[in-house]
Amino acid sequence: MANIEIDKREFDELLGKSIDEEKMIEQGSMLGAHWHSIDGDVCEVETYPNRPDLLSVEGLARAYQGFFGIETGKKEYEADKGDEKVEVDDSVDEVRPHIAGAIVRDLELSKKKINGLIQLQEKLHETMGRRRDKLAIGLHDLEELEPPFTYRAVEPEAVSFKPLEYDKEMQLGEILDEHEKGRKYSWILEDEERYPIIEDSERKVLSFPPIINNQLTEVHSGTSDIFIDVTGKHEETVKKALNILVTALADRGGQIESLEVGGETMPDHSPEKEELDVEYFREVSGLDLSAKEVAERLEKMRFGADAKKRKVEVEVPAYRTDIMHDYDLIEDVVIAHRYDNIEPEMPKVDQLASQKDIEDLADRVRDILTGKGALEANTYYLSSKEKLFEKMDREPEEIAEMSNALTEDYAVVRNWLSPSLFQALHDNRHHSYPQEFFEAEDVVELDDSAVGASNRTKLAYLISGTGIDYTDARKALQVLERDLGVELEVREAERDFMKDGRCAEILLGGEKIGFIGQYSDKVVTNWDLDEPVAGFEVYLDELE
Amino acid sequence: MKLSKQAINVLEELQDTEELTISQFEERGYDQSMVNRAALELQEKGLIEIEEEEEESYELTEAGEEVRKEGSPEHRLLERVEEGDNRISDLQDLQIDVALGKAREHGWIQIRDGEVELLDPGEEALGEDVLKKRLGESRFKEEDVKRGLVDETTSTVRTLKITDEGYEIDAGDVELEFNVEAEAETPRVGKTHFYKDILGFAREKFMEMGFQEMSGDFVVPGLLNFDALYTPQDHPARDLQDTFFMEKPEKSDLSEYGEKVQHIKETHEDGWETGSSGWGYDWSEEDAAQNVLRTHTTAVSARRLHEIDVNEEELPKKFFIIGRNFRNETVDRTHLAGFIQLDGIVVGEDLNFKNLKAYLSEFFEKMGYSEFRLIPSYYPYTEMSVEVQVWDEEEEAWLGMGGAGLFRPEVVKPLLGYEATVLAWGLGLGRVAMKAAGLEDLRELYRNDIEILETTPKWRPKNRGEK
Repeated sequence: MANIEIDKREFDELLGKSIDEEKMIEQGSMLGAHWHSIDGDVCEVETYPNRPDLLSVEGLARAYQGFFGIETGKKEYEADKGDEKVEVDDSVDEVRPHIAGAIVRDLELSKKKINGLIQLQEKLHETMGRRRDKLAIGLHDLEELEPPFTYRAVEPEAVSFKPLEYDKEMQLGEILDEHEKGRKYSWILEDEERYPIIEDSERKVLSFPPIINNQLTEVHSGTSDIFIDVTGKHEETVKKALNILVTALADRGGQIESLEVGGETMPDHSPEKEELDVEYFREVSGLDLSAKEVAERLEKMRFGADAKKRKVEVEVPAYRTDIMHDYDLIEDVVIAHRYDNIEPEMPKVDQLASQKDIEDLADRVRDILTGKGALEANTYYLSSKEKLFEKMDREPEEIAEMSNALTEDYAVVRNWLSPSLFQALHDNRHHSYPQEFFEAEDVVELDDSAVGASNRTKLAYLISGTGIDYTDARKALQVLERDLGVELEVREAERDFMKDGRCAEILLGGEKIGFIGQYSDKVVTNWDLDEPVAGFEVYLDELE
Repeated sequence: MKLSKQAINVLEELQDTEELTISQFEERGYDQSMVNRAALELQEKGLIEIEEEEEESYELTEAGEEVRKEGSPEHRLLERVEEGDNRISDLQDLQIDVALGKAREHGWIQIRDGEVELLDPGEEALGEDVLKKRLGESRFKEEDVKRGLVDETTSTVRTLKITDEGYEIDAGDVELEFNVEAEAETPRVGKTHFYKDILGFAREKFMEMGFQEMSGDFVVPGLLNFDALYTPQDHPARDLQDTFFMEKPEKSDLSEYGEKVQHIKETHEDGWETGSSGWGYDWSEEDAAQNVLRTHTTAVSARRLHEIDVNEEELPKKFFIIGRNFRNETVDRTHLAGFIQLDGIVVGEDLNFKNLKAYLSEFFEKMGYSEFRLIPSYYPYTEMSVEVQVWDEEEEAWLGMGGAGLFRPEVVKPLLGYEATVLAWGLGLGRVAMKAAGLEDLRELYRNDIEILETTPKWRPKNRGEK
């Protein structure tokens, strides 16, 4: 989700109609962008990553013109034929191979419009641009520049210029080391020997993409002609971003002028042509619309649409990035039809329900142990080695571990449940005793499966209070044994975390499935508890 | 003299011990409000005296706990600067505003051109992290409270002391005053967890609708969690921030997916035979084999689609799972490192968007919500992508309950091997549980506070019609 802030009055002006703010909040969502009021005329609009064309007030106004039926169909953008060029040198192939560009003239910019433009640029960087890696945009005041431009890669010391926000000439390498933006984005150019630059015919460096521009070309409220560059690693993305920018500027009255970039004329506004089969639309949506009705709805979403007998010929605007499949067109038709207007229809799917045996068994265990008087706990699956082993006085074992956990507290997946129940006792120290908890849940164990780890289901039970000992745990186990109708064997054993002579293994048909005992004073103290604790833990999935 | 049974019990305890605080009574298994009522009764009769004293107690906050473990931000700043790490922009991993503020307050540092310089007092302060030590030894100061490192709570300690008159009474001679209107103590009984009750209720509802239950592992290859769900490999969700990547076990063997791996690859690159244009990039099998903790139960739905054998199981089919999922988030009042999701899929030849809306509206009606709506949303693996909202009558607001949609052909065809329609959803009931227990802090769902567990009523849906 990307959020942008827009001025509602600007939006209304571009829309050509004033729409009540409450209505925007209520109905705006039905297009797939959520409106929130901030204060005064400022609105915050949340958009989804599939629609980067909605990241500006211009793009939003264009879309809502269609959605509210003010102006529908594909909006046409004409480019004047221009003479300027961008030469693309092979040296960029290794580092940042793609560039797109255009010139937009006769702009009347205000501070507010410039802020909107910068917001669009920044949001495109963050979303489509994957933090400038996949694409980065430069906007330049054309006045100071002498085209043709050249896009090439040079060594870090080869050129220097005064970057934005810094009042000294710097080499490219210095910018990466010292400039705030350089440090923030230097990871994109890591391990590169040469860095990309754009320069004009007088060898003035305009831009060091994807890092920073020359302050010489900074766009200000007196700027009327702009040169836009978009560089990146993915050709399609770079070109789409250019289209999104250029159409937003054209909606503001700018005149687009074509530019020859590496021998190709840009921007290219020619639409993708698709055919939507009306029968296919009906199958997927369940809506019984005619070709004409489908076409009308597509036009509301600002597609070009021509209804034929059984299909609709569709022109996809060049700024749309999300139309990969007919399903995407179908979605837009249904959005224009409005989700509110869809009548639910239950299909006939004859099938008998079934549940997993282990879930059913866990339900029986809940009945049995709550009947015994225990509270069911609901605990975290993620834990730390400290809680699972150190505090439990248990030798560390190989368990499922994450590589990038934000905190040590949630850095491994637990392989047993009792520590989680100790946590519950710890958190309830201020309540009266005796306290009794159980939980039947999954743990993860490493194994030799294709993934290397699998879930197992365990059951743990703890009881704590004055005078509690092994016998109390044994009582609970016997209730479980009796009510599940299983025969368990209890055989004396030793565990570091249990009191000597108060610990046993639990066996089912000769197989070890768990342990029972009274916890050692050390473990009880480690959890800051004052009362003795006894309990058991078994593989519940062995009891299925 | 007439006394209630409770008052006699309290009096007898005091005859043995002379005096006890309310919390000492609680330790002996008495209910706090019962003791208080009995105390007033005994005081009125002059048998005991009640003394009240204010007691202040201090406890480290989460921030304080961090200082105790890791050291104070200002001292860590000194250490880093000493190590030569003196650019402010490099020190952002510390709580830099606090660190700089405090260090300057102490006169330890000065800042020049975005660099931190140690002054003499700072050099001296390097020796020992005084704040860390102090907090470790529980020697708190007023300033620690102001700084949010320590929580101060004032509580009233009530001590019941027996009077001479109280001593002389023979409890056996006291006439019992029986009050049928007085409340008895509510006993502690076994009880299931309210959140699990709600999930269990939802599970029943899916089964009423004829769904079959699925299960799946927490650790899955990226292939299932992302690639099979048409999430491109440079998608922000795959960034380190959101997803837990596994160090152990690091990679999966994908051979069980056979040629489907190649089909998924081609679908991402150019659409394969799905009718899609694809994402247009070079797909890496290595990234797909990297194990993650599943970030949604939709990974289990994907696995189920892979396992459906057209010769064995006749379509249409419908499945559900209620399971845990994981997100690499810093845990606080509104964020947890995991959440529980209810995933459902319906797989068939003749299914459509209207059917999806029908299943969702049926389910939420069963859950007691009379108004329900869908609004457009986005997921890489569905189209129509919708957000499911229900009308909450108390809050008078739409509540988001999760996402849904039709799986894209780019998901279905590579996994199933043929084309079919798949209705899918991933819903959350955490908010329902929060409301049921009157909680404000998400962490309480997993903290098992006995009082909350005991006092939360057994959950039933608000509007109970025939559903």
